Amino acid sequence: MSEVKVLTEFYHLPEFQTLAGYKAKGGYETLPKALKMQPQAIIDEVKASGLRGRGGAGFPTGMKWGFLPKNGEPRYLLCNADEGEPGTFKDRMMMERAPHQLIEGMIISAFAVGSNKGYIYVRGEYVYPIECLYKALKEAYDAGLLGKNILGSGFDFDLDVYRGAGAYICGEETGMISSLEGLKGQPKLKPPFPAVQGYLRKPTIVNNVETLAAVTYIVRDGAATYRKHGTEKSAGTKLFSLSGNVMKPGNYEVPLGYPLMDLIMKEGGGMKPGRRLKAVIPGGSSAPVLTAEEVGKANLDYESLAGLGTMLGSGAVIVIDDSQCMVDMLGVLSHFYAHESCGQCTPCREGTGWLNKILHSILEGRGRLQDIDLLIKVADNMKGKTICALSDAAALPVLSFVTKFRDEFEFYVREGRSKVKGTTYAEMHH
Amino acid sequence: MSVMQNNSEKSKWYLPGVLGGMSITMKHLLKNLFNQKKMMTLNYPEEKYEYSPRFKGNHVLTVKKDGSLRCTACMLCATNCPAECIKITAAEHNDHTVEKFPISYEIDILRCVFCGYCEEACPVDAIRLGPEWQTPGVNGANFIYDINHLAYRPNLKGGIQTHVDDEERLKSGL
Amino acid sequence: MPKCTINGKEVEVKEGTSIIKAMVDSGERIAHYCWHDGLSVAGVCRLCMVEIEGNPRVQIACNTTITEGMKINNTSDKVRDAVKWGLDFHLINHPLDCPICDQAGECGLQDQYMEYGKYDPEMAEHKQKKHKVVDLGPTVVLDSERCILCSRCVRFTEEVSKTNELGIFNRGDRSEIGTHDGLELNNKYSLNTVDICPVGALTSKDFRFRQRVWYLKDAETVCNGCSTGCNIKAYYNREGFFRVKPSYNEKVNGHWMCDEGRDVYKFVNQEHRLLKAQVRGAAGWTEMAAGAAAKKASEVLKAAAADSIALVLTAQYTVEEYDAIVSTFVNEFKTKKIFFWINNKESFDEFDGLLIRGDKNPNTKGLLKVLEKHGITATWNELSAGLASGSVKTVVVAGPENQAVFKDFAERAKELSKAQNLIWLQAGKNEALMSLTGNVWLIPTKTFVEKDGTFINFAGLEQKFKKVTTVVSEALTLTEASLLMAGKNLAIPTAAQPFMPNNQRVDQVELEARKKNEFVFRRGSL
Repeated sequence: MSEVKVLTEFYHLPEFQTLAGYKAKGGYETLPKALKMQPQAIIDEVKASGLRGRGGAGFPTGMKWGFLPKNGEPRYLLCNADEGEPGTFKDRMMMERAPHQLIEGMIISAFAVGSNKGYIYVRGEYVYPIECLYKALKEAYDAGLLGKNILGSGFDFDLDVYRGAGAYICGEETGMISSLEGLKGQPKLKPPFPAVQGYLRKPTIVNNVETLAAVTYIVRDGAATYRKHGTEKSAGTKLFSLSGNVMKPGNYEVPLGYPLMDLIMKEGGGMKPGRRLKAVIPGGSSAPVLTAEEVGKANLDYESLAGLGTMLGSGAVIVIDDSQCMVDMLGVLSHFYAHESCGQCTPCREGTGWLNKILHSILEGRGRLQDIDLLIKVADNMKGKTICALSDAAALPVLSFVTKFRDEFEFYVREGRSKVKGTTYAEMHH
Repeated sequence: MSVMQNNSEKSKWYLPGVLGGMSITMKHLLKNLFNQKKMMTLNYPEEKYEYSPRFKGNHVLTVKKDGSLRCTACMLCATNCPAECIKITAAEHNDHTVEKFPISYEIDILRCVFCGYCEEACPVDAIRLGPEWQTPGVNGANFIYDINHLAYRPNLKGGIQTHVDDEERLKSGL
Repeated sequence: MPKCTINGKEVEVKEGTSIIKAMVDSGERIAHYCWHDGLSVAGVCRLCMVEIEGNPRVQIACNTTITEGMKINNTSDKVRDAVKWGLDFHLINHPLDCPICDQAGECGLQDQYMEYGKYDPEMAEHKQKKHKVVDLGPTVVLDSERCILCSRCVRFTEEVSKTNELGIFNRGDRSEIGTHDGLELNNKYSLNTVDICPVGALTSKDFRFRQRVWYLKDAETVCNGCSTGCNIKAYYNREGFFRVKPSYNEKVNGHWMCDEGRDVYKFVNQEHRLLKAQVRGAAGWTEMAAGAAAKKASEVLKAAAADSIALVLTAQYTVEEYDAIVSTFVNEFKTKKIFFWINNKESFDEFDGLLIRGDKNPNTKGLLKVLEKHGITATWNELSAGLASGSVKTVVVAGPENQAVFKDFAERAKELSKAQNLIWLQAGKNEALMSLTGNVWLIPTKTFVEKDGTFINFAGLEQKFKKVTTVVSEALTLTEASLLMAGKNLAIPTAAQPFMPNNQRVDQVELEARKKNEFVFRRGSL
């Protein structure tokens, strides 16, 4: 097995970014076909394809669309392009290389769910992708692909880009909705779920860039063709953002179920010379870490990784070799989560800060042996206690790092320096 | 209390008891005559007994390094006082790190039972019972001690400082 | 009407009730900070955890609606553990300054800690430093370090007062409550934020540092600030009254009251009160006991001709008192010259949409009802004319208790002083009264917290209230004053059974008395 390019087939072509280039490679050919279908037929097709949300949670997309109430209220289709998960950079490439792919996917999806207004919520730091999107939107509007009466079908759809201010929490769907409403980017209580009461208290569908882009191909080729790739429960292909200590980091599109070791060794070109694989974070920084032995058993699909106690997440594979100090890495992660917690729910607000403080006192040589158990206890009690998953996202890495690499933590507490690097925190960072 | 009466034959012989008592008296008389240094009696008020620093005598309000009162007017001493002899009026301090302080702190020493509960209740070591115990006075009004007396009376020499200061506490994160 | 089981007890609730509401209503104990019955659900404190049968995870009770057959439990070890840790997260950055915190004694954190505390602190790191003693506005002071970010105050300004001054700024454990740029917390309901603050983060400038709450007793009464008649709790001890808080009444004020109403305790305290009767004769002012002064006044009243006597009433007394004094004047003194002193005619029907009404008297409706009952139709103009012509020689005036809302007080006092004999039943001291000339009787009266009675509010709702405490023991109620002025003696109400029945144990009585009088650890009043 190797890379299977469905979405990324023409990404190497610079002109694929433009409407003309996209059209030359078969772009916007699916749209008229889709607009002639019954919306329910599209939803059924997506359901049959087994497409699951590519943003992180892996919730079946067709099922999510089915939750919309069947009343006449206006609906919104939001594209989540906030991509805040450390290690993930696939959406950025998709928006830069093929903005029209996303736009086409969104029009078809909007038609399917019956929405006339959509937003693409892009994180503020993505200056170039936003430029690309604006350019593409203008082209699409000029070509009559967006706006009133698209391609004479009588279907109206307006699409806009919203630039976030760069908060991790705005990648959470309700947090994103709050931010889009002009409020402080804080997740909302569920229930009600966004599909029932979301943006401006109207039914709202939030999907990831990759999910929406994949809809076009499902409609074009049919669910059966899409299902050819991937496993029974995890169908299709997915982009993986490979980063860390590998020879060739980058985005790779592989079918789901692809062995993790192959991704690192074949696509990623293996480890750097003289280095051994120590651990892999398979699904963005919130996913529990896998040790080298576990990596051998892991396949890149939702079930296999869940079986190993971690998750596929957004598909950010972070490779860690034996030159890395796990205590130091966890310190960086915990600082990130303490900084990004929105401060709404107490366990997360206080817990992330507490974890960060404990880890930094260990790193700065003030740690006590009981702090290691305390880390586990604190993380354990943050899990599943909050409105959104950020608390879990902060707790899970701590739990996995500390349990799987406890010796490194104990060494650090006893000696006041890193077991791997042999240096203190101050020496590591100056 | 129940009194047990011993009405045995033996108890009718009183003389041995009297002699026993007299012998104890004589023993002390001789001991004090020949070893006056160890004599228990003091010639008060010419001689005065020095109690240990832990003696629960008159109250002292401790002060900070700058000489201001440590007391934060939390009124725990007043709440805890079984004799209800402490009266505090709190006010807001200009310094935000101090926040609350007493503008008046009065102890009615005639009501005080010197139980030391105020000392125990104090969370900031602001009130202590000192070794002073001779507090005669001729006028009843003198027995309501105010801040001036409790913290700055002449024999305290500008106030008793406690060993930890607020700044040190703040620095060490307490 | 879905039925559910809460901690093994079957409960039937209204459709759409949240678990926490059902639990609070049915008397179950459940830890919570952010949930407040009068506000929207925030779900951020994560303390109201419950276990629902069939659900492996504990979940919050405030955002879960009860469905048919739900089995809810919040006493299991799993829930207790979750609450313990939830509470610990609240406490790790909370300063340990209970001794100087005004909330101590009625603090949500202290109460919950007694029940759910971990008692072995594991937090060894430095606490988060935030702003202390932040001046939010003219009435409220904020201590950010004590704040547990339950967002009740923010939601209050958004949803109830609709003034939106407050917000939560910054993120994570650096979050702080604050006012938006250029705004200060300055609305007519701002002190409600202090009431709903479960910790000592928001404190009232008026009450700040004046008393520790455990020295205060409280009793329910009705606010006499305006015709809304909010139900209030007055907090007092032997030194006087210290503060007023709203007490829940769905029909009148809900959970809230206005800032203005919180000042009503002030004129009740001794320093503002007339403690002794002041009688002015030819020789100037003399001080005497209230009862004696009333007796003296009765001689004047009896000697006066029926048509030269007038009575002026303000709408600040109870219905019972009006009835007594009006019937005394109608029946004993045979006069129908009874006048209603309206203080703020022009703003009488104003209403701000929430609670505050323009009629600043608690019992206008009650007074009108009594006057109607006795068929009295006299208007102020008649009195003015009578005073000017000298046909009205003896005037008895009752009130007002709350002089601050009577802007025309001095002016009217001057007009009334034209009468030969002026008998003024008054609770508070007043400069204008002391500068009167002629024959004046100033007789101290009891205020609304010192007597039982009834107020009828703007909507015609009769609200009975009980005496809270006595501040000026010598003062008279209007009922007593009218009896004395009619020349009768005060009847001391005799209890049917002055001694305890033999079969009742003494300590049972004491327990009841204790419950009423002593400081009670109020856990339920979060």
